[in-house]
Amino acid sequence: MPDSPTFFAITEDEIDLNALLAQITLTSSGAAAIFTGMVRGITRRGEAHETEFLEYEAYKPMAEEKMRQVADEIRAKWPTVEGIAIVQRIGKLFPKTPTVLIACTAAHRDTGVFEAARYGIDRLKEIVPIWKKEVGSDGQFWVEGDYIPERGD
Amino acid sequence: MNHIMVLFFANLRDYAGSKSLPMEIPIGSDVKTLKKLLVRQNADLEQALQTVLVSINHEYAFDEDVVPDGAEVALFPPVSGG
Repeated sequence: MPDSPTFFAITEDEIDLNALLAQITLTSSGAAAIFTGMVRGITRRGEAHETEFLEYEAYKPMAEEKMRQVADEIRAKWPTVEGIAIVQRIGKLFPKTPTVLIACTAAHRDTGVFEAARYGIDRLKEIVPIWKKEVGSDGQFWVEGDYIPERGD
Repeated sequence: MNHIMVLFFANLRDYAGSKSLPMEIPIGSDVKTLKKLLVRQNADLEQALQTVLVSINHEYAFDEDVVPDGAEVALFPPVSGG
């Protein structure tokens, strides 16, 4: 649909916020909610540890289909959302580097656009097949999520 | 027999020792049967298969789902993107 741009990508390249925002901004857009996550070098919550780098990998064709599904779910829940961008960077990424970005645009900020972006990142962490290996003070290990998909996920 | 391709990701790939494995499985085999066949080939996988997620042709699949001929099956741990 030309009126509701949806952009998603799994890339080894740097995430370019301005370019993504331009892609999902319509003439009628007046608000964007953007979530981005980055590599945390020092973790204090829970088991405190330091991270040297994270190494991300994806099951690309399925991940792209699941990103599309997340976008469809956002549109079903928040029909006022205009544009959606979902980007995951993969490869070897060091502390302070943005790794993921979810952005939603809408006409106004009180249309659910914040909740839509929040839902997008939560859902990505549940169903999009991407994994990270953590390398740091505790050695190296694959980080395992805690969500077990159900039928329809 | 059905011909399928099994893909491994993250820790499953480490256990399997390879990214992909072409397999022949009996017609009508479900996911549970496929897991048993994999453990028979490689006992190192047994532990990892306890909490594994499975997809068939890019959709999440479950123990009782039949694996169709030509399927691309992937095995991986709960996802940790973001």
